[in-house]
Amino acid sequence: MKGVAPRRGIPAHDDPDGREFLTGEVRTGVVRHGSAVPSTLAARILALVPGERVRTLERPVSYAVSPDVFTGVDCTLPSGSGRQARGVGTLTCRVALVGGRVLQGSAYTRLTRGTDGRRQSWSHYLARPGSVEVLGRSSVDDLAAGLLAAAADPAHLDPGGAADRTVDVVRWAPGLDGRLPLRAARTRLRWVVTTGDQDALPSAALTTGAGAFRTLRVGLPAGVPAMAAVELCEDVALHDWLLTTLLDRVSRSRLDDPSGSLEPLLPAVEHLLHLWMPAARTDPRLVPLRTGLDRRAGLSRQWDATVARIRDQFSLRTIMLLSAHGPAVGDGTAGR
Amino acid sequence: MTGVEVAFSEAAGLRTTDDVPLAHVSVELGHLYAEDFAGGPERLRAHFARVRPWVDAVRAAADGRAAGGRARMSTCFLVDDYFTPFSSPAELVPQLLDAARAVGVEIDYLARESGCATAHGVPLAQLVEGRLVADPAPGTTGARPPATENGWLCNGQRSPVATASAMSGAVAWVPPVQNGARNHSVFLDVELRSGAADSQRWSCAFLATVWQLLRLGLLRNDGRSVADAVPWDGALPDVWGDLPPLLRLRAGARAFSAYRTFSILAPRFLDVEHAVRTVLAQVAIDEDVRAQVRRRARTDDPTLPVEVVDRLGYLFDA
Repeated sequence: MKGVAPRRGIPAHDDPDGREFLTGEVRTGVVRHGSAVPSTLAARILALVPGERVRTLERPVSYAVSPDVFTGVDCTLPSGSGRQARGVGTLTCRVALVGGRVLQGSAYTRLTRGTDGRRQSWSHYLARPGSVEVLGRSSVDDLAAGLLAAAADPAHLDPGGAADRTVDVVRWAPGLDGRLPLRAARTRLRWVVTTGDQDALPSAALTTGAGAFRTLRVGLPAGVPAMAAVELCEDVALHDWLLTTLLDRVSRSRLDDPSGSLEPLLPAVEHLLHLWMPAARTDPRLVPLRTGLDRRAGLSRQWDATVARIRDQFSLRTIMLLSAHGPAVGDGTAGR
Repeated sequence: MTGVEVAFSEAAGLRTTDDVPLAHVSVELGHLYAEDFAGGPERLRAHFARVRPWVDAVRAAADGRAAGGRARMSTCFLVDDYFTPFSSPAELVPQLLDAARAVGVEIDYLARESGCATAHGVPLAQLVEGRLVADPAPGTTGARPPATENGWLCNGQRSPVATASAMSGAVAWVPPVQNGARNHSVFLDVELRSGAADSQRWSCAFLATVWQLLRLGLLRNDGRSVADAVPWDGALPDVWGDLPPLLRLRAGARAFSAYRTFSILAPRFLDVEHAVRTVLAQVAIDEDVRAQVRRRARTDDPTLPVEVVDRLGYLFDA
């Protein structure tokens, strides 16, 4: 086999080489509540499974995540080649609330090779929750190409739809006042993670195109738990949404026009600026990959530059206001 | 800076999961209705006399599977105080114990059926309902919820219901389909509960599912064990509600929960148990609990099936 790039088959459930193949989608938006959702309310609205605890963390930014909810699927899997494969199993769904402001739905699954080439009884799939077995001839690369394609066939596996459904339970939960703190488009990030490829270096490729659809493909060497990569994808989706939303507010406020209103920026300043914390909960083994991706995509640089620009504008306008109404600026007495 | 090791964790982010003691097999010694008890001590003794050889056979089979060749076995009996409460613990329990002992059968644990709905304030049936993951019909992508009827659970796709507009024309019947059927379907639709929210009643099949899960040691509430057995101190109340949900009658009894269950039942319970298996196949067990049991079984019951429904054994005998 040496010298020939092997066409990678779908890993078995207990793959001897520890290979794993996961896919999922993250839907990110703002929570409908006038102020930051306090952690006690977050714990109540995210309690999607009776008898299961909502995980809440306060540092470095408040984060609450629902217990996992499973949903069954039995449908066609998208592929790059158009070859049809069937997937049967369950998606893991969860909802997270970041900083009491950002509501994130995440649905994902582990794709594994099917058993005996046919659909098993349902108890078989619930004995391996959070995985979808692939029935039919297929390969990792073919499925990955299909999963990351923007064009969606409604008959295909739809983790994003499952994520949205789970978020909807929380979005309209009693206790939330339904007021939008700011208008912001929801973003979708579809991802594929493969682990355990021989000699593979950690890799991550983020694609942002027109509209709200992004893709992220992550490759990891053996030994890194794929779950850590799921959290990484959610972290990237969060920060991509924050940046997208901030840039949208900036473009609405016409910063380059001195008479333009800064009003559209106020909710972003109030609700979002403090939430930028890349890799806050990323597994230490994946931090170099996360920071590398950030550097390459320039997310933090663009965020920092935009925040600096907003602050400069606010300072500038404040000074202008002061100079118009108060004592002259720069005489050494102002503000003392 | 090299060689620095830092750690930070928040307690609220962590959860521990109770381990529960496990026998190899939990044997249910029958399930009786009020009329069976009305038949008096003779009828009860005859029941346990019929059960006895099967109990011995279950022990022999369990010994054969257990690592070390000696299985830990416990026996249990479930009294229906949920649907048709009758008699009282003070009257009925001694009768039951005497009848069993007279033919050399020991009842280790006594449970109340309403304890499967709520035990020590924990709504067990609700916990299980919250863990149901419906068997998806082909064409389920995740975008829409599986077709469910409130309070019912089935093993496939129901027959389409004729709507008013469809009824005007001739409507051909479309059969229901069992998911994953081998050639032909055996379709089953199980009623989980009935009644309005304030007067809701769980079905016998659903409570029996909870009962199986308790016997398999697979239920937790926020990681804590539920319906722990309370040792019997000799006194018995006059009202079923005053009796603990699960009572340990014999001091030296093996653990109540077990890797596997074996139920010796009259054939009239076959449909209920078919329903139990249909529901149980759609319960997502907590991953930590599942892993715990699997880890322990590796050295204790090495051939334990991965799928929970396969851990249930039965004998149906009149």
